[in-house]
Amino acid sequence: MTNLGKRMALTAAALLVSTSFASATDIKFVRFFGDCQAEFGDVTDPADAYGECGIITALTNQFNAENTIGAHVNTQTVDWGAYYTQLTSSYSTGDIPDVAVMHASDLINYTDRDLVTPIGEELVAAGVDPDDWVEQARKNVTSDGEIYALPFDIHAVLMHVNLGLMEEAGLVNEDGTAKLPTSLDELISMGKTFKEKTGKYYLAMESQSTDVSSMRLFMSLVWQQGGDLISEDGKTATVDSPEGLKAAEFIKAMFDNDLLDPGLDYNGAEQAFLNGDAGMFINGTWVVNSYATQAENGAGLTDYAVYDLPTFFDKPAVFSNSHTWIIPKDDTRTPEEREAAIAFLAFLNENDYQWARTGHLPVRQSVIDSEEFQALPYRAGYAGTADAAHRLPPVKNERGIYLDIAAELSPMWQTDMSPEEAVSNANDTTQRILRRNR
Amino acid sequence: MTTIDTGQVAASQAVAVPKTPHRRRKSDIVPALIFLGPFMALYAVFLIFPLFKGIYISFHDWELAGGYREWIGFFNYEDLWYDREFWRATGNTFRFVIMAVPAMTALSLVLALALRGQDRIRTILRPVFFSSSVFSVTVVTLVWGMVLSPDRGLVTPVFEAFGLEPINILGSLTWAMPALVIATLWWGIGLPMALFIAALGQIPSELYEAAELDYASRWRKFTAITIPGIRRTMLLVLVLQIVLQFQIFGQAQLMTNGGPAHTTETIVMYIYNTGFRDWQIGYATTIALALFVIMLFFSMLQLWIGGRGDTND
Repeated sequence: MTNLGKRMALTAAALLVSTSFASATDIKFVRFFGDCQAEFGDVTDPADAYGECGIITALTNQFNAENTIGAHVNTQTVDWGAYYTQLTSSYSTGDIPDVAVMHASDLINYTDRDLVTPIGEELVAAGVDPDDWVEQARKNVTSDGEIYALPFDIHAVLMHVNLGLMEEAGLVNEDGTAKLPTSLDELISMGKTFKEKTGKYYLAMESQSTDVSSMRLFMSLVWQQGGDLISEDGKTATVDSPEGLKAAEFIKAMFDNDLLDPGLDYNGAEQAFLNGDAGMFINGTWVVNSYATQAENGAGLTDYAVYDLPTFFDKPAVFSNSHTWIIPKDDTRTPEEREAAIAFLAFLNENDYQWARTGHLPVRQSVIDSEEFQALPYRAGYAGTADAAHRLPPVKNERGIYLDIAAELSPMWQTDMSPEEAVSNANDTTQRILRRNR
Repeated sequence: MTTIDTGQVAASQAVAVPKTPHRRRKSDIVPALIFLGPFMALYAVFLIFPLFKGIYISFHDWELAGGYREWIGFFNYEDLWYDREFWRATGNTFRFVIMAVPAMTALSLVLALALRGQDRIRTILRPVFFSSSVFSVTVVTLVWGMVLSPDRGLVTPVFEAFGLEPINILGSLTWAMPALVIATLWWGIGLPMALFIAALGQIPSELYEAAELDYASRWRKFTAITIPGIRRTMLLVLVLQIVLQFQIFGQAQLMTNGGPAHTTETIVMYIYNTGFRDWQIGYATTIALALFVIMLFFSMLQLWIGGRGDTND
């Protein structure tokens, strides 16, 4: 009996010790970007990692290994399609994370409902300098003058190019860069030349309604004409404006002229480009580092280059968004946990350069000006993207608008729907979402 | 009064016309409640309460998180009536049900006819056909995603054998929905098959022997003995399948995500997107209630059609 009692007391003590260790400084960290524990689980130097998943994993490992406040970040990765559903639901289940990734476009959903609280002062106290953030990044995380999140990047759509195939098609400038189209007519004529010379598709783009690449191109084209998809006050959909119609006609012409394979999903389009089966790939900043690495390691794509999305209409404009970090509101969080979470954010801010290596644009002016950033490969090709980066006026449920526009556009090439009908449908669904917003 | 007495009283009264129905009912109530209680409690907590709570929520603009709730009367219902996306999703769901339910019923019956009996091969094959039912929808969709992939899928060599270019089935307007139906058949065939096997075993073998003496053909035996013998099971399978297939979600969400061009977006997917993507739990609940009414209507219709002949029994 006494033996058993002793043992029980010991176990209880051990449990107490371990939980007190755990509860004081464990941070629950949820994000997308994928899980790559197998490849980068032991890497503590971000310089040894590449790609979004690799670099954020290495950064997390480094923080866990080097922080002096005894904090430990426990990562939970969520598939990006289910991410926001899960995050929102966590407020109901009570299993609220301490640090979570958030697109700038989604932030308003949480700030407006008091589900995220300002962290500006605490960030400053932890050594973060918001004045170092570029204007758009700061704007992305600020609401009513308060900072609600830590901006980590600005990401946008780029034109990824297979230079080898471009050379084969004779679409290369004298300085060795790719010759890019500046209008729809040029796009079509270059595309025809390309197909004749190489026998391959000129373009690749995710074309199912499952991802939103077509929406990103569509929005960029509307903004390039000086139009927008919703009114300034966020109340009215203007997708069926003349600019919207013109953008839809542009996209339909791409498919009608057989410039790209309409049957490819995201992975299929990516594989086509990496296998050297397509000349150009319309995709984001998030893959620059990854494609460059794969090109070096003997993918079908050998001569990789990447440029700003061409300006097809009046002025440069390109779809952009921003990854930010939030501390979701949770009344049961201890001050120690909050402090550890802030410390982790400050650490991430400090390592904005490492994140920029993925291909994203950094948010800190000091990083942009730094020699190491200037020396990163491929940057010259898309130096104009930072200024062209554009977003919708902030509205709630922007994600729904993205997905619905992509889904409403796709019948243009999957069936014979006219651009007029497609933009009219997209306008209806967008208006439905806006009407419900308060 | 002891329980034995109660039983005797009940038994004797069951035979004769009960003289004192009042007393009998009173004494039966306690054991009845004891037996029914646990079920009734669970039923009330997990079905009755959520149903009424759902009706209550549907009269609100009710957000997923953040606590915003506002009474808006019948606005959600009005909105639903004019919601193009809802009708499109309903149309898609009907298309799926019309393909899946008859195919599932017919195929499972054929399988049951082929696999009833006691020899070794059939005994082995029955659990084999049933086994796909134990997988989660995630596994099923992963497997079928691999089968149907145009690059490396199992179907690719089949296309090539016929000298055809492999098509992206899940990205095809024509074939995406049938592909979901096939995956669903493969996944769900086990239970209706088991039900049919059980029902076939209930048919007295004398009937078949008598028919054989009359030189009845196999088809005649099938239509005159087998089908009437399993009619009730057939009805059960149909109603179960209607209720189940109207709620198709996982396969569509994971295999096509509603694409291409919304052709596989189903009602439950629309509920999910409205509630969890767009935060509108109030409206999502309204759609869910509409789905409930649709399923109730078709189940009742089935039961009514199936029960019409019973008055002659």
